[in-house]
Amino acid sequence: MANYFNSLSLREQLAQLGKCEFMNPSEFADGANYLKGKKLVVVGCGAQGLNQGLNLRDSGLDVSYTLRASAIAEKRQSWKNATENGFTVGTYDELIPTADLVLNLTPDKQHTAVVGEIVPLMKKDSCLAYSHGFNIVEEGMQVREDITVIMVAPKCPGTEVREEYKRGFGVPTLIAVHENNDPRGEGLALAKAYAAGTGGHKAGVLMSSFIAEVKSDLMGEQTILCGMLQTGSLLCFDKMVAQGVDAGYAAKLVQYGWETVTEALKHGGVTNMLDRLSNPAKIKAYDLAEELKVIMRPLYEKHMDDIMSGHFSRTMMEDWANDDLNLLGWRKETGESAFEKTAAADVEITDQEYFDHGILMVAMVKAGVELAYETMVSAGIKEESAYYESLHETPLIANTIARKKLFEMNNTISDTAEYGCYLYNHACLPLLGDFMKTIDTDVIGRGLGLNDFSVDNQRLIEVNDDLRSHSVENIGKVLRGYMGSMKKIV
Amino acid sequence: MQPLQFQHCAIRFSDVYALNDISLEIAPGEHWVLLGANGSGKSALAAALVGKGQLISGVRSVLPRSQLVSFEVQRELIEAEREKDDSDITDEVYAGTPGREVLAGGNPDITNSLIEAFGLGDVLDRAFRNLSTGETRKLLLIRAIAAEPELLVLDEPFEGLDIDATAQLVDQLCRLTQALPNKASGANTNPTTIVLVLNRLDEIPVWVSQAALMIEGRIAHSGGIKEALPIVRQLLQLQRDDLVVPASELTDRVPALAPGPLVKLQSGRVAYGERVVFSDLNWQINPGEHWQVVGPNGSGKTCLLNLITGDHPQCYVNDIQVVGFQRGRGESIWDLKQHMGYVSAALQWEYRVSISLQNVIISGFYDSIGLYAKATDHQQVIAKQWLELLGLRDRTDQPFNQCSYGDQRLLLIARAMVKHPQLLILDEPCLGLDEVNRQLVLSLIEIICASSETTVLYVNHHAGDHIKGIEKVLNMADYA
Repeated sequence: MANYFNSLSLREQLAQLGKCEFMNPSEFADGANYLKGKKLVVVGCGAQGLNQGLNLRDSGLDVSYTLRASAIAEKRQSWKNATENGFTVGTYDELIPTADLVLNLTPDKQHTAVVGEIVPLMKKDSCLAYSHGFNIVEEGMQVREDITVIMVAPKCPGTEVREEYKRGFGVPTLIAVHENNDPRGEGLALAKAYAAGTGGHKAGVLMSSFIAEVKSDLMGEQTILCGMLQTGSLLCFDKMVAQGVDAGYAAKLVQYGWETVTEALKHGGVTNMLDRLSNPAKIKAYDLAEELKVIMRPLYEKHMDDIMSGHFSRTMMEDWANDDLNLLGWRKETGESAFEKTAAADVEITDQEYFDHGILMVAMVKAGVELAYETMVSAGIKEESAYYESLHETPLIANTIARKKLFEMNNTISDTAEYGCYLYNHACLPLLGDFMKTIDTDVIGRGLGLNDFSVDNQRLIEVNDDLRSHSVENIGKVLRGYMGSMKKIV
Repeated sequence: MQPLQFQHCAIRFSDVYALNDISLEIAPGEHWVLLGANGSGKSALAAALVGKGQLISGVRSVLPRSQLVSFEVQRELIEAEREKDDSDITDEVYAGTPGREVLAGGNPDITNSLIEAFGLGDVLDRAFRNLSTGETRKLLLIRAIAAEPELLVLDEPFEGLDIDATAQLVDQLCRLTQALPNKASGANTNPTTIVLVLNRLDEIPVWVSQAALMIEGRIAHSGGIKEALPIVRQLLQLQRDDLVVPASELTDRVPALAPGPLVKLQSGRVAYGERVVFSDLNWQINPGEHWQVVGPNGSGKTCLLNLITGDHPQCYVNDIQVVGFQRGRGESIWDLKQHMGYVSAALQWEYRVSISLQNVIISGFYDSIGLYAKATDHQQVIAKQWLELLGLRDRTDQPFNQCSYGDQRLLLIARAMVKHPQLLILDEPCLGLDEVNRQLVLSLIEIICASSETTVLYVNHHAGDHIKGIEKVLNMADYA
């Protein structure tokens, strides 16, 4: 199989990368009707598979589950999940040939094997849905010509997909149609109906492309989301301990700090995150972030270039073929870091203290978000995609670190994200070596300790203007506005 | 036990809620009941007795071995389960903590005898969060009693318990109030001091010696039970002759139903693996026929109602017709829900939002948790009429999640009734309501039963809460 993206002309590549628009709610007037009376078969019954299926059924659609014969015979958890919820469960042979729409909700890494098995069983003129495009775009999976291939990707974990639906709402969702596989021109109608069936249309749907989703997803996850937070955790922790800050306190500040500062990011973007700091601390964070951006920009560009050229996915798939030798080695290394091994102290750190004592962490998040976003946009990805794959998702990973620290965070994210995260971390740690020598506990661990909070007016105005006029802030405001327009009443 | 003392305490529970100037002494051998209207602070005081809340001023002593059972404790446990649920990041469905683990740590002899007394044995291996309201309640009571506390604070302990369990609990509590000979030493162990929070005056046990009446976060009266009760009765007395149920929306947003039964269930069955909750249940509800569903805790009353509302996934493997829709034939749950109003303990737990009281009532027009549509002027007027009726008019814009349990319950009942649904499903609606509000809700249900618009399904354990107009009874014990 050859990389699909590389097989396209530059013109086609740019057109696909630049695809991402917020759909008007009126485009969903038909709800899930296009799928009424059709047979939906879900492959895989993890949290995402189960909860999407429950929503689709409650929207009046005919849903059943197909699992490997062994999972059924051994009555594994996936079998229990499906049967206890009153779904019909059958083997691939039994159910796939009856399906009008097959929903592939297995992990990325299994896609080649699963799709290879189910496509020959699928009936003529049916539809195959993905929730990630890696298999199509990077692995170059070719699906039979008569089959429509779409993507519907709720931008939240499965449990939340279900909970929001039960409330009468939904979660933001990305949809796409594979240009090569839309033989009857019904891909969009199918994707819209599927998104509406999960409730996604109530929270906002983004129309994108397989390519834009994959390239931006890869870039976001390996740089700002997982990579930056991992490198930042290690550097901040080690610096604090070296400067005599209590190790337990340092571990707690890092583990929970990302979550606290990115919660502010989620609500009001980079601007709000920095607005949580005092004026002198804000200017300090701003200056540090500017410095970090200069140092790290070439690294972000290298990641983007390797993703675009296919170098990243090729080398990663070589490691897959080599029994994950690199991945498992790097994972082990993460488990052995001093940060990972130091338990968080049982001390109270207030919300505000995480900001005041974590100025460098705030600066790292700002630099990482802006660099990932700017690099994606300069590579032809639309602002909307770039926003979702950088700023929007950072709080999710930060929350995972708060609950599980780094080793488990890496364990739970996709193998693709994990592999990229380690690559980033290995390059970024030495890159920031000299920079970290200039850092002291005033910006990480102890706070500025000022009695006098006065600042120069002109400087503050410059900083505030620059923060507020960044493109990620502008698009963020618009997109959060769409999502919030309905939630605002709440 | 040391006496428990509060001297001029101000105790803060949230940004908007605090108890003020609380002075109280509970001496060994005394047993107390805390009374008051919904939102008066009786649950807060109960929590403060075991050390909860932040002491702002004054002096309070807290006993090291004290236990509290309340809706709040129940909610916290469920919340903790939610936090343990990592399925959002692992993509593996979380099975939940089994009930047995919740009981770990107590005196095993007491635990086992109470498990037997409450008939709870066969549900302990199931996930705690999947148990019925009554079963969860029993679990928490066992946990608290088996910890052998000096002070046992029980906030509405009888709510949600069936008749047998109520009798068992009364019996157990009575024993705890007596000094019992210790098997090992032969000496008498000290009796447990018990503090009850009760909404129903008729539930006050004979061994209760003292009472405190709460009004607006303060103790309005405290003293011997005999002197206190008449005062309480007087304060809680309310005459409501002029009760009117606010109209529903004038527009015909909701399409009318075809004539025919509202519910038709044939050979109904719910089972988890090998365990059958009920089976062979044939049931038809015709318009205008109001039903009461009875049966012991865990007999499947809530399960059955959830089959009707569509909240139970096994509705898709049953032959069930609801408001004209044969389930599993392409209808969406929102098609059904627009014809139904629903109140239950589970709904209240799921309704974890900070919207205003007015919007909670309006959300009943949309069957949503939270409000995601722009309310019409008409809906806003109706919501205000309901708030007036509930005595909450001056709190229209307050956030829902900061209301007391009883006030929340009252609002959710209004939310269920607001659109005058074809089918009104009330699963223990009076849970957590004080005497006055209980009378109010029962009267409202009576008026609704008398109207021709709405058919009522009603679950209640209290024989005293009989509603005129509800003639038909379904006993779940017949289908076990």
